[in-house]
Amino acid sequence: MPERMEPIAFRLRRAGFAAVAFATALSPSAYDPAARRVAARQIYFSAWQILPGFTLACAALSWVLIRIVLSSSNAYGLSAYALELTVRVLVLELIPLFAALFVGLRSGAAINTEVVLMHIRGDLDAQQRAGRDPLRHELVPRVIGSAVAVMLLAYLNCAVALLLTYYEMYGISPWGLAQFLRITGEVFAPVATIGLAIKTLLFGIAVAVIPITSALAVPRLQRMAAVAVLRGMVSLVLALAVIEGSFLAIMYV
Amino acid sequence: MEPHEQSSSPPIRHVELKAILLLTLVAALVTGFVLYVLYARGVFEDTQKLVLIADDSEGIAVGANLTFSGFPVGRVQRIELSKNGKAKIEVEVPVKDVHWLRTTSVFTLERGLVGGARLRAFTGNLDDPPLPDGAERAVLRGDATEQLPVLLATMRSVLDKIERMTAPDSDLNASLANLRVVSERMTGRYGALGGLLGGDENAKKVIDALDRSNALLASLGGVSAKLGRTLDKADARVFGAGGVMDETQQAITQLNAVLGDARASLKKADAVLAEAQKVGANTAAATEDLAALRAEVEASVRKVGSLIDEVNRKWPFKRDTELKLP
Repeated sequence: MPERMEPIAFRLRRAGFAAVAFATALSPSAYDPAARRVAARQIYFSAWQILPGFTLACAALSWVLIRIVLSSSNAYGLSAYALELTVRVLVLELIPLFAALFVGLRSGAAINTEVVLMHIRGDLDAQQRAGRDPLRHELVPRVIGSAVAVMLLAYLNCAVALLLTYYEMYGISPWGLAQFLRITGEVFAPVATIGLAIKTLLFGIAVAVIPITSALAVPRLQRMAAVAVLRGMVSLVLALAVIEGSFLAIMYV
Repeated sequence: MEPHEQSSSPPIRHVELKAILLLTLVAALVTGFVLYVLYARGVFEDTQKLVLIADDSEGIAVGANLTFSGFPVGRVQRIELSKNGKAKIEVEVPVKDVHWLRTTSVFTLERGLVGGARLRAFTGNLDDPPLPDGAERAVLRGDATEQLPVLLATMRSVLDKIERMTAPDSDLNASLANLRVVSERMTGRYGALGGLLGGDENAKKVIDALDRSNALLASLGGVSAKLGRTLDKADARVFGAGGVMDETQQAITQLNAVLGDARASLKKADAVLAEAQKVGANTAAATEDLAALRAEVEASVRKVGSLIDEVNRKWPFKRDTELKLP
């Protein structure tokens, strides 16, 4: 049995899969109509379905945090630093992590489960035997869907958080715009901006790649499906923590 | 759920369109975000350079603001150490704000207790010539925390002094104890006097002395009354009718008459003196004649002497040397 899964496992296991998936996602030749349809469905399931709900939840959380930061900074006489603190904490750190966790727990868990079932049932090998590349048609579209979902949710909610912060600080007056631009401009230094983009991309890739590799790493036994999902989720949360911690260290240490 | 059942699940309407919409949204968000950051960081603004030279750039970071009246008018672009060891802070000032900075503007670097250092510009006269591009200006330093060590040292010495002052064996406590003793004495029979003089006995002596002084003053009152009477009498004797003053006046009148007589006598004496002067002159003339006469007499005597000598020579038998004057 193990030797039957060897061809795919050999190609997909471990971190190499992330690079292979990324390269495949970037090559236009990988998108035949079938692959494009699967990718579109993945994007739809991972991003479109949860976009309104997640945006509302994230806006509510952001609003609470903004209120806390503003009122405590006012109480301590440090209101001049409230905007910078809010933008740094919310936009640069919390919202991307929150989006990645949300997509990971929802789509990542689903991907983990379906890939481990396909793996146990031998669907992937069957597809390969039938001349259909499972990497291109089943796995890479899921990675693309998760990455797009994480980036979309993160960036959109960062924008919403910025708008909420402006509203909370200055109301609907346009006269705070110059100060708001100046302070956010200081926060979004080149290192921070590029760091945010890379971090979000890594979150998006990790959210799909770690569940897939965990699913393919288990023996083809029905009872191992739960173990694969468990391992996948634990590894995903750890990986997200490591990525976040590394970027915090790069930014502030 | 859905993904692994995708082969059997019903087709989703416009799924590719929705995916493209989401991808477009991501692209738009990324593009908008990049443009926003570039705009917020002033990439699209025309700027001019201002170089501030400071002794110490601690607390200043790239991106820090240069403020004028509390409004940011510039942003620190670069900080480096110049060849002479001073910090060179390059500030980019947007052209729209550069009119606030003039050639006479003063720049300060202030450090508060909270937050980073602040660069501030002050312009006294906005009609002065505008600041040229690339101008170099020295930065004045104002540091709230710099004075803290000095303040702490001073406070410590002050506290030491206060501690010494409030120690149980301090001078202040001793003084207060003495004050308490004095105030206790003041509550005694003789009051403040007892407190000041160190005891009731001394106070009693003072009061006795005062009593004696009062008696003395009373007797002095009698003496002064007698003196007054004596003075009245003296006044009557001196200034009364027929008193000393009247007699003195008469005496002065008589003295005037005597003086007139004396003046007349003096005039007479003047005349006598004039006469005497004349007599003196005559006497002087007579004296001159006397001299001539004396000379003649001397000459005659010498002639007589020589004659006698001659006679003696010619009268050899007679050795009588007595000369018989004619």
